[in-house]
Amino acid sequence: MKAAVRSVLEQLEAPEQRLTLQVEGHELPVTNLDKTLWPGAARRKPLTKRDLLRYFARVSSWMLPHLADRPVFVTRFPDGVEGKSFFQKHWDPVPRFVRTVAIYSRSGDADGDYLICENLATLLWLAQMAGLELHAWYSRTERAPDALDRGRRFGGSEAALEKSVLNYPDFVVFDLDPYLYSGKESRGAEPELHRRAFQRTRRLALRVHEDLERLGLETWVKTSGRTGLHLYLPVVRDLDFDAARTIAETIALHAMRQHPREVTVEWAVERRRGKIFFDYNQNVRGKSLAVPYSPRRHSAGTVSTPVRWDEIESVYPTDFTLRTVPDRLEEGGDPWAGILTSKQDLGTVLGMGAGGGR
Amino acid sequence: MARAIWSGSISFGMVTIPVKLYGATESKDISFNLLHSTCGTRLKQVRWCPTDEVEVPWNETARGYEYAKGQYVVLTDEDFEKLPLPSKHTIDLSAFVAESEIDPVFYERSYYLAPDERAEKPYALLLQALEEKKLTAIATITIRKKEQLCVLRPQSGVMMLETLYYPDEIRAQPEVELKSAKVSDRELEMAFTLIELLRKPFDPEEYKDSYREALEQMIEAKMEGREVITAPEARDSKVIDLADALRKSVEAAKKGAKPKPAARQRARPAARRRTRKVG
Repeated sequence: MKAAVRSVLEQLEAPEQRLTLQVEGHELPVTNLDKTLWPGAARRKPLTKRDLLRYFARVSSWMLPHLADRPVFVTRFPDGVEGKSFFQKHWDPVPRFVRTVAIYSRSGDADGDYLICENLATLLWLAQMAGLELHAWYSRTERAPDALDRGRRFGGSEAALEKSVLNYPDFVVFDLDPYLYSGKESRGAEPELHRRAFQRTRRLALRVHEDLERLGLETWVKTSGRTGLHLYLPVVRDLDFDAARTIAETIALHAMRQHPREVTVEWAVERRRGKIFFDYNQNVRGKSLAVPYSPRRHSAGTVSTPVRWDEIESVYPTDFTLRTVPDRLEEGGDPWAGILTSKQDLGTVLGMGAGGGR
Repeated sequence: MARAIWSGSISFGMVTIPVKLYGATESKDISFNLLHSTCGTRLKQVRWCPTDEVEVPWNETARGYEYAKGQYVVLTDEDFEKLPLPSKHTIDLSAFVAESEIDPVFYERSYYLAPDERAEKPYALLLQALEEKKLTAIATITIRKKEQLCVLRPQSGVMMLETLYYPDEIRAQPEVELKSAKVSDRELEMAFTLIELLRKPFDPEEYKDSYREALEQMIEAKMEGREVITAPEARDSKVIDLADALRKSVEAAKKGAKPKPAARQRARPAARRRTRKVG
């Protein structure tokens, strides 16, 4: 364990409700440490803001690499996961240790400051604000090693942003979201997590993984932390977001034709009922999925957790919580540690030869 | 309950009752898309002008009434707006009649009427009064820009609204010549016996759309057997065709991409690698 992490955990042992944490040379005031963020249940103690700070500190070595250089959106739950929440994209002002990057935003037709979470202090600062759900872009501001000739000007205009490295994602992503209802949902509510739905979702994920593996393409899988699974296909950054979306659509429609009784790509929610929504629409610049090891809005304190394909048959989303994930990482490491060094050049893999890549 | 298709109020005398209207029936017919049988692509409807030989966009269309062969008067949106629609948001009750006076041929579509907020009391009052007097109300309502004749009738504690055809929308009866057909008493007795044999209470649950059931089973079977016709981009369900489809996507993406610096255009060996290690 890193000394900085051990130091933070020791400081959090103090019984006080408010502290000024010393984090890698930075000062971070934290308050309301015993405020409940995840309420307790029959056989479950509540989780507090102190628990969230401890969790982020313990997983930081594995989580921060997935956040590096990526604009991040944060959902804050000031009254805990069962209270109201708000989604924050732009930040002003921020402490000295927090990096922001100015990116052109179409909605305001101006640049906005986006947060980049690149150190332990920033992660803990987000926890202090009950920012427990972190969503990251699939593209990042750093060009090395596979996008050296892309632009680094992200502000000023849409055209500049489109030419920049932020328009070239590291991943083609899929969100497999079961619309299989447990029957206990209130009317109009999203389906709840249940065994049969998750079983069908992972079976589908495995089949898609096998299909793509036969083509030489390797996908990576994590639990969404809610009801479904996220699949990531790491790609060399010579395809822009439009291309990534087209490729994602091709794969999703193929999956639907292969498994017409399991897969839907319907936009209308009521028409997804009974099937697994194979969402390829997230492949858009400025969209985001929960970052690996981000807690999610779920009473059990579940965490979006990378898993290995050979263990997926034996896992369930509620196995991975703020309580269990730090031990899992300390024992077995991060199954996604190599994702950025295993990028695939689709052109080459598909045997397209010259012009297929960089 | 589904979304209301209309809201307004029932009005008669000095009374208004705010209500919402819901469709009471739906067709369960299975619909098909028309495909090109040789390639499996879904056909596109084209609005075609044979004079200019062009496809016509919506904003260049107009509504014409054919008053003589090939002769049209054109009505614009403004013309339609000028038309009088007196009962736009009201159901105007004009008379009360016995239900048996209305021949079923007049019934067009059925709707449920539900009371709007705080209108339960007057709604219940009208419902109970009609039930006890065994009467239905004749009214008019405007749905989708069309004024229609309708009746309100109580049915198991709910007010139903049935739109009616106007009398000039009912076709004349065909001329049926029955005078030469003489029916004897004995034949009539036999008919009575036959009818009595099949006489029972009406239970709609006994009647199923067996054609639709068979059709659904056939569709299920075809899906199980993967006999699903797919569009040409990825015609077959074999994995090899996913590769083709992906190749096409990548190619299209690269064509659409901006020209790359010359250094990037160099030829590369066609070696296949499973993954590309970078960094």
